[in-house]
Amino acid sequence: MKHFILVAVLVAILTVLVGFGLDTIGLMPELASLQGVFIDQLFRMHIWVISFLFALIIGFMLYSIIVFRRKEGEQGDGDHFEGHAGLEIAWTIVPLGIVMYFAFLGSTALAETRRADPNAYNITVTGQQWSWRFDYTDYGFSSDELRLPADRQTLLMLTSTDVIHSFWVPEFRVKQDALPGEGMERELRITPTELGRYKVRCAELCGTQHAYMLADVFVVEPEEFDEWAEEQLKGVSDDPVERGEVWFGQFGCTACHSIDGSDKVGPTWMGLYGKEEILADGATLIVDDAYLFESIREPQAKIVEGFETVIMPPTGASMSDQQIQDVIEFIKSLGE
Amino acid sequence: MANQKVKLFSLSFFRGVVFQVLGTLAGMGLVMLIRLLMGLPAWKAEPVWVGGAFVGVFAFLIGAGAFSDWAKMAFGEDVPEHIETDPNQPGWAKYFHISYDHKIIGIQYGVTSIVLLALAGTFALIFRTELAAAGLQVVELDMFNTLIGLHGMVMIASILLGVGAMSNYLVPLLIGASDMAFPRLNAFAYWINVPGALLVVSSLFLGGFDTGWTGYPPLSARAPLGMQMFFMGVYFIGFSSILGSLNIIVTTLRMRAKGMGFMRMPIFVWAAVSTALISLTATQLIGLSFQMVMFQRLFGMGFFDPAKGGNVILFQHLFWFYSHPAVYVFILPGLGIISELLPVFVRKPLFGYKWIAMSSLGIALVGFFVWAHHMFTSGMAEYLRVPFMYSTMLVAVPTGVKFFSWVGTMWRGKMTFETPMLFTLGAVSIFLLGGLTGPPNATVATDLHLHDTYWIVGHFHATMFGGFIFPFFAALYYWFPKITGKMYNEKLGKWHFWLMFPAFYVQSLGQMRVGLLGMRRRIADYDPALNFDFSHLLITIAGFVIAIAVTIFIINVIQSLKKGEVAPNNPWNSRSPEFFLPSPAPEHNYADHPFEVVGEPYDYGLADAPFVKFDAAPETAAD
Amino acid sequence: MSTNTSDIRSSYAYKTGTNRLGLWLFLLSDAFVFAGLLVSRFYLLGNTRPHLEQTLGLIVTVLLLVSSFFMNRAETAIAHGDQKTFLNGTLITLILGVVFLVGVVGVEWQLAPFSASDGAHGAVFYMMTGMHAFHVLTGVIFLAIVYRNGRKGLYSAEKHWQVEAAAVYWHFIDVVWIFFYPALYLIGTVAG
Ligand code: HEA
Ligand code: HEA
Ligand code: HEC
Ligand code: CUA
Ligand SMILES: [Cu+2]
Repeated sequence: MKHFILVAVLVAILTVLVGFGLDTIGLMPELASLQGVFIDQLFRMHIWVISFLFALIIGFMLYSIIVFRRKEGEQGDGDHFEGHAGLEIAWTIVPLGIVMYFAFLGSTALAETRRADPNAYNITVTGQQWSWRFDYTDYGFSSDELRLPADRQTLLMLTSTDVIHSFWVPEFRVKQDALPGEGMERELRITPTELGRYKVRCAELCGTQHAYMLADVFVVEPEEFDEWAEEQLKGVSDDPVERGEVWFGQFGCTACHSIDGSDKVGPTWMGLYGKEEILADGATLIVDDAYLFESIREPQAKIVEGFETVIMPPTGASMSDQQIQDVIEFIKSLGE
Repeated sequence: MANQKVKLFSLSFFRGVVFQVLGTLAGMGLVMLIRLLMGLPAWKAEPVWVGGAFVGVFAFLIGAGAFSDWAKMAFGEDVPEHIETDPNQPGWAKYFHISYDHKIIGIQYGVTSIVLLALAGTFALIFRTELAAAGLQVVELDMFNTLIGLHGMVMIASILLGVGAMSNYLVPLLIGASDMAFPRLNAFAYWINVPGALLVVSSLFLGGFDTGWTGYPPLSARAPLGMQMFFMGVYFIGFSSILGSLNIIVTTLRMRAKGMGFMRMPIFVWAAVSTALISLTATQLIGLSFQMVMFQRLFGMGFFDPAKGGNVILFQHLFWFYSHPAVYVFILPGLGIISELLPVFVRKPLFGYKWIAMSSLGIALVGFFVWAHHMFTSGMAEYLRVPFMYSTMLVAVPTGVKFFSWVGTMWRGKMTFETPMLFTLGAVSIFLLGGLTGPPNATVATDLHLHDTYWIVGHFHATMFGGFIFPFFAALYYWFPKITGKMYNEKLGKWHFWLMFPAFYVQSLGQMRVGLLGMRRRIADYDPALNFDFSHLLITIAGFVIAIAVTIFIINVIQSLKKGEVAPNNPWNSRSPEFFLPSPAPEHNYADHPFEVVGEPYDYGLADAPFVKFDAAPETAAD
Repeated sequence: MSTNTSDIRSSYAYKTGTNRLGLWLFLLSDAFVFAGLLVSRFYLLGNTRPHLEQTLGLIVTVLLLVSSFFMNRAETAIAHGDQKTFLNGTLITLILGVVFLVGVVGVEWQLAPFSASDGAHGAVFYMMTGMHAFHVLTGVIFLAIVYRNGRKGLYSAEKHWQVEAAAVYWHFIDVVWIFFYPALYLIGTVAG
């Protein structure tokens, strides 16, 4: 009996040490969404159960190691007992109860993260190698940054033009993959609660530049959001070159094309217009409007030599003719 | 006799490799010929290389001689039960030959496993150096991606071979059989790993692949050529798992010693059989999923191509249907080792033998119904998430039974702390850490945050180190005298443990910490604003310390083989039958010393209650 | 293990029992591939099926079923020592197997109005029939070996494990087709 009391004390001390220790250092990053509240609560409970179970087994083990080790000059074997059915049943039933309870908590927390607000407004999020695009479908403009009004639910519809990406803002906690293909849109609900600047971090390995597939997120006051939306709506600019530059950022071309001649995954746009291009099949041509148009609309039609292994995404298919024309003007402005 | 020169080409291993190279070339030529006949240009890298690699694997097996006996049987010729080893060659040479002796095959598995461990560990050290600080310093992005994928898969191959090593070497010895049920199949199952592993590693030189070990399409459908080599290599290694586990099950069911009922088998055998049930069946599905991607790339078959009506989620279901149960393949043998060794060093019976035996089966069976917990955020059908959360949580129950029973075993014993015991105790604590970090992942809501972060990386390194790496080293130290006839160096063994154990905690806890704070998996560079540099530096240092520890182990093995003390038959005062045989164990095990089971395997502390009774006492025969 | 048990264990009958267990486990394992293919078929195509030649499908299915009957006859015959019926049965099975292969790979594959790269229907159809045909091919090779060794008189009423194995394997392939045929030819509405 003495042994059990001592172990109980040891386990209690260990639990408190581990549990409070973890609580104090703080395990999670800043919390900035309503959905995350339920997740953090549940995770905190998990951590306490983990602390207790870890302490329980390690406590018994440490105690046995110290007290029941073979002492100098001791002979013979340990006590002979082969088991105890009652104990075995107990430590089958009790953990069963615990995990079922946690699964139940898990499903209610999941339901909370998915609770739909009928006033939620919609944003379509498109992932492509290696950038994000946000279409504010309720307003009719697009952006390469995500700006959200605080304390209002947003319904994100996630899709991808090429491979699987995953939308994750650690401060919002929730995460959802963006899948390519028709009918594969997936939804994610976020109600930001803290003003500030965060980042979308693509959480699914999506090729070479996966590490850098980030986008800015701003949570702002609703009034500020309305102002910004209005500004976006006013149209970008009268100058096709300036518009082209905006599309260049918004449609994610920046991920692969440089405009200063430096090396990226795709050919640089500097000095592209009018130059002689060598294709993968050996043919050559002079870069003109028609070629550029085709290269954007149907990237696979002609492949540039040296870039056979990277596939340019078919983003151009969802760009308007005018937008493509703007991009071409922009390319022209980068020198011949 | 040991001085006799060995001709390299007479060794199955070298003949196999040469044949594989030639076969690959021949296969490439063949594909080019077929392409010409079909009116296509002869050269297209992908089909030509894939065809060549495929033929190369079979050429290796033919060259090594893995098919010779079967060919003879097909032509109605008689073949001998055993291959007699050539007495004129040095002792090491037999390990490079095809052998039907389960102990030699077990050693072949084991050594290959450690070679792969060192290789995959070296990959880890390279990319860990890259991660030691933010920014890109050491490797390029594509190289980094290839390295993590190769690290993961080569480690997994290393585990599968290590599991093969333990079950091949131990199961016949523990159940009193003179060999496995199908010795030829056993040899084949080992040898197919060699060309398979060569293919996996060759992907490094054929453009690499940027998908991680999971190979999800559509990314894998457009990855460089290395992807195909990776898929094909794993495909063949999968065959080894399937055939090897078939052999284990049949051997256990048909070859036990007289009197050995199921509830009197040494507990490791239960673990090995439960493991085998998983790898026998589930492995087919990873093979199929990989084959489907390969065919999509080669023939344009649109299984996972959204443009062709394919579906990317299907792959994940097929893949995880194997790859989740596979994690229990990694750990069940290791947990079996823990259960096997604890009673010996505690000098007490195994607490709740039946419960431990049944929990292995339980984990194996429940493990088949939980795969989709890897897909909680993947966008699979919504209604699947909650049922899979419940089923996943169930696994904690039988695993818990094991932990509590181990505690029961340790309670009031008379423990000693030789190296195998240290590794066993270390394994218990580390696997506990890994296991307990499972339920937060299994709970859908929390997994929404945890998925694809370093928290998961920490979780699975803890489960794999606790469930495989540590028990594997425990087993290697424990049976080293029986395998080699020499004692290992206890001092180096302790160094190995006391370096690896704390370093591992630093590595794994560090990974979990940065993961929760927002460190994604599989990124070569992280945002310096997140302030992870210091934690990452610690993880990297810990990784190097683990590597030093493993190097000490390798030195220990080599030194002890050369000039270790001669081992007694039973250095651990164990009740297990193999410890009544001479060390190293003789070629046909118990053929000269058959035994009958007359008692319980773990009756430590009961005088005059033997486990086995030999017809003729082997002690006298041995010395 | 006393000398007594080890005698029993080295007997042909005990070894055959061991082999039998091994074979059945192998088939269990193999069944998972085909199950995976069926799952993929329903996952991708749901309640539709590829456009195929119905009469041809029915014919090859009947041929395969009939071949199993002859295989069974051959096996029973050798168990009673009837070499002639055994050899004839094996040969007929073998020929039917080859005809099945020609029917599926040689004719159906050419008639199909789509190719393997034409979308999910094509992919599923060629993969399923291809994997099955590959198994039929290995079965045919196995039968050829059995037939050749049978002609040399290597099998007897007491010792004919190879014949049994070939027969069990052949029935297995047949059973797989019993699942594949409706999945490809009968269930759902035609599309693609
Ligand atoms: C050896 C390997 C191994 C083992 C044993 C486990 C064991 C478990 N794993 Fe782990 N897991 C992996 C290897 C392993 N895992 C790998 C490699 C990955 C990542 C794959 C990839 O994406 O690359 C992964 C990922 C992974 C995920 C996906 C995470 C994600 O990507 O989002 C999940 C989710 O449910 C999970 C859960 C579990 C659970 C519940 C267990 C359980 O079996 C644990 C059970 C054990 C215990 C719980 C401890 C002991 C029990 C008690 C003391 C009793 C009392 C306990 C309670 C009441 C809770 N694991
Ligand atoms: C058994 C399995 C196993 C083992 C032992 C390890 C061991 C290690 N692993 Fe890993 N790991 C995986 C399985 C394993 N890993 C898997 C499956 C993945 C997922 C991959 C993916 O995402 O696709 C992964 C991923 C993974 C990541 C995440 C990568 C990412 O997502 O970006 C990291 C990062 O820190 C990491 C680190 C390490 C380190 C530092 C070690 C260290 O412990 C390594 C220590 C070094 C050695 C053991 C080698 C020692 C030997 C020598 C140095 C040679 C000496 C030779 C002679 C003397 C002849 N591993
Ligand atoms: C995933 C990387 C990637 C992204 C994103 C990308 N491209 Fe490309 N792009 C490439 C590669 C690789 C090539 C060269 C191969 C080819 O011709 O398809 C290329 C070629 C081109 C060319 C022809 C250039 C030449 O040198 O002849 C144009 C024009 C072009 N891209 C425009 C765009 C536009 C516009 C966008 C954004 C809507 C974009 N790209 C987004 C990778 C990308
Ligand atoms: Cu997109 Cu990672
Ligand atoms: Cu899992």
